[in-house]
Formats: sequence, C-alpha cells, structure tokens
Amino acid sequence: MTSAEEISKMFEGESRKLTSLFDTVDSKTEMNIHEIVETYYQVMNMSSMATMLQTQADSEPKELIEKIRQTEKLISERFDCIIHPKIMKDLSTTIQEMTKSLQSGNSEEKSKEQIESNAKLFEELRQTMSTKEFVEQYEKGISHDQ
Amino acid sequence: MISDIAKNLVELKQEFVNLYDGNSQIQELIPKSTSELFPIEQSHLDLLHEFAIKNPIYYNSIEKKIGSVDCIVYEGDINKYWLNSIQHGSSKAPFSPTWIMSGYIGAMFAKELGYSEVIDIGSGDGRIAYCAKILDLESYSIEIDDILVDLQNQLTSTLNFHPYCADATAFDYSSLNLLRPIFFIGGLAQMGGTFLATGVLDKINSISNLKQNSGWVFAGTLSQKYVQDPKNEAGWGTLIEKNNLKSIQNVSLPAAWTIHEYDDVQYIFVKSN
Repeated sequence: MTSAEEISKMFEGESRKLTSLFDTVDSKTEMNIHEIVETYYQVMNMSSMATMLQTQADSEPKELIEKIRQTEKLISERFDCIIHPKIMKDLSTTIQEMTKSLQSGNSEEKSKEQIESNAKLFEELRQTMSTKEFVEQYEKGISHDQ
Repeated sequence: MISDIAKNLVELKQEFVNLYDGNSQIQELIPKSTSELFPIEQSHLDLLHEFAIKNPIYYNSIEKKIGSVDCIVYEGDINKYWLNSIQHGSSKAPFSPTWIMSGYIGAMFAKELGYSEVIDIGSGDGRIAYCAKILDLESYSIEIDDILVDLQNQLTSTLNFHPYCADATAFDYSSLNLLRPIFFIGGLAQMGGTFLATGVLDKINSISNLKQNSGWVFAGTLSQKYVQDPKNEAGWGTLIEKNNLKSIQNVSLPAAWTIHEYDDVQYIFVKSN
C-alpha cells in the first residue's frame, strides 16, 4: 500500500513540475501546441489529485493538506487568472491572423508546389483551432465550478 | 454486378494507397477505360473524367496503372472551401467529397432500385447529382454554401444537375414535382448527418405520397474513432427505426477522407417500411 509519505512526495514532485511549467510559460512570448497541451494536462492532473486527496483529508498529514491548498491557490491565481486567459487570447489572435493570411491568398493562381505548401498552413490552422477547443473545454470547467 | 464494381473500387483504392507518393490534400482515381473489373460505358467514364478536369478543386492529374487497371489520378485541395464554410458557419459539416466513382456507383444502385430522381443533399460540388444525370436520372443538387454552389454552376454546362443554393431543411421540395425520388444525405451520421436527414425527412413526410415513394441514402462509418449508434447501421440505426424505414442495400465505397482508413464509407440505402 502507498504510504502517506510517498503520497506527499509524489504530490510535491508533481507540484514542482507544475510550477516549472508555469515559469516556462512566463518566460516565453509564444507557446507551441505541445507546450499548451502539456501545461493544461498538468493543471488538470493536479486539480484532480487535490480533489481526490481532500476527500480523505482527515487521514492525510497536515503538511500535505497545506501543500494541496498552496497548489490550488497557485492554479487559481496564477493559471486561471493570468496564464489561461493569455493562452486563450493568443490562440484567438493566431487563428484570426492565419485565417486572414490564408484568405488573402485564395484568389491567386497557384502552382502545385504552392498549393501543397499552403495545405500545411491550413493543417496548422486546424490544429490551432482544435487546441483552442480543448482550452475552451477547460474554461467551461472553471465556470461550472464557480 | 454493381456490387462487384463497388468491391473492385475498394480493392483498387487499397492498391492505390500503397502506390501513391504525392502530397496533395485529397486524391482519387477514375479508370481510363471500360474493363472486366469496371464494365462501365466508355461515354460515362469520359463524363466522369470531364467532371474532374473541369472541377477547380483538382489541380493536377497523373496517369497510373494500378493493379491491372489504367487510371487517371486526380490531385486536389479543398482547403479554401473548408475555410469558407467555417467562416460563415453555414455548413453543418465541412465539405469532404466522396470519390466521383463512388458517386457514380451510388447512382447506379439508385437506378437499379427503381428511383427516377436523385436529390443530392449537402451536395458539396454536386458530384452525386452529376453522376445521376449521366445515368439519365433527373437530378437536383442542394447546397447551403454559396461558394460551393458557384463551383457547381461552373460544372453544369455538360450536364445540368440543377444546383440550388438553399438550406435543405427549409427547401420547398413540392416545387420539384418529384415522383419516385431518392435522397442522398451528405455528411456522416456522426458529423451532423442525422440532423440534416431529420430536417429533410420531416419536409418530405409532409408532402402527400412522397413518404411511401421516397428512398434515402445515408453515409456512415464503422470506424471505432466515431461514436457508434446502439442500433448500428453505421450510425443511422436509431434514425432508421424512429422513422420506420428499412434497409434495402448497404455498400462500402471510398471517399476523400477514407484514403488512409481501413474502413470506407458505408452507404445505407433505405425506404419506408
């Protein structure tokens, strides 16, 4: 069976990973899709873990309960209020710019190579739109919790 | 015989996937000439090629022998139509065409089943309606996206398949004076097709005599990537049961999006029970 100490260690390790991801986000002007998805998964992973551990709060060490509270505060104040809105805004801007750029070139006659190269940009646009949908799901979760 | 042609097309597609080394977004093939595997009138094959040659979604063509069949491979790109459809929010499902050969085989089944008119709903570039016209069936093409209807209008000079720019769930079908129509519903059950089909079924059922005389063709998939219907029929089972329809034919045919899929599109032909 997993001991309380092991659970605390695991939670602290995951929490450090979360802080490190947030620091990386802050240091960058632009995040790629992989980084966005990784950050959201870690936020959701930590939130679920915190919820689960709190259901058995009576049997958990006080230090762990305090760590859980700190992590929830970190998610709420740093991620939900700052990082998440910034990612949403950046994704919307990227989609708008890519769409405008792809539309502006629509009327021109293109070679086979140009069409196939442009198709990659359309694929990128589709991936960015899917990422925005994924991020919007998180937002729905936040508003549902409030 | 039509089932054999359909089976041969699926096998040809599988051979083609192993050979194709291009980079186009969509690609499809049409046999060059009539053969044992594809006993189709040469004049019909020529008209299928004409549709692809005139169609602006295709930008390149290559002659290729696939298995024992000499084919023309058409390479195309539908990205700008996809972008337009999501911009205007007009389409319930983005344009993703079936193969021209699949449209033709679907229309052959419609004719063999005794239908006299084909109505291509959510018709994209109108290929199913065009193919029906080749087979001397009267045909109508209904598409909500104006850019796609403009494209269809570029393709009607050889055969007029009557494109209409309209919301198929609000269209006045009594104006077409249909006798024994079959409706091809564009869009997989899992991609908004059931919504479209329900809207059109409601319209047709409100016109006297048409409910009993009409046939329906639903496009579905058995792919595990999509949520399956508890009543099966490639995603259409619940709708079929609810509308008291019965399945009369089921055929698997390639479409643009199934090129790298093991399962092709399941076309379910149904009529009133």
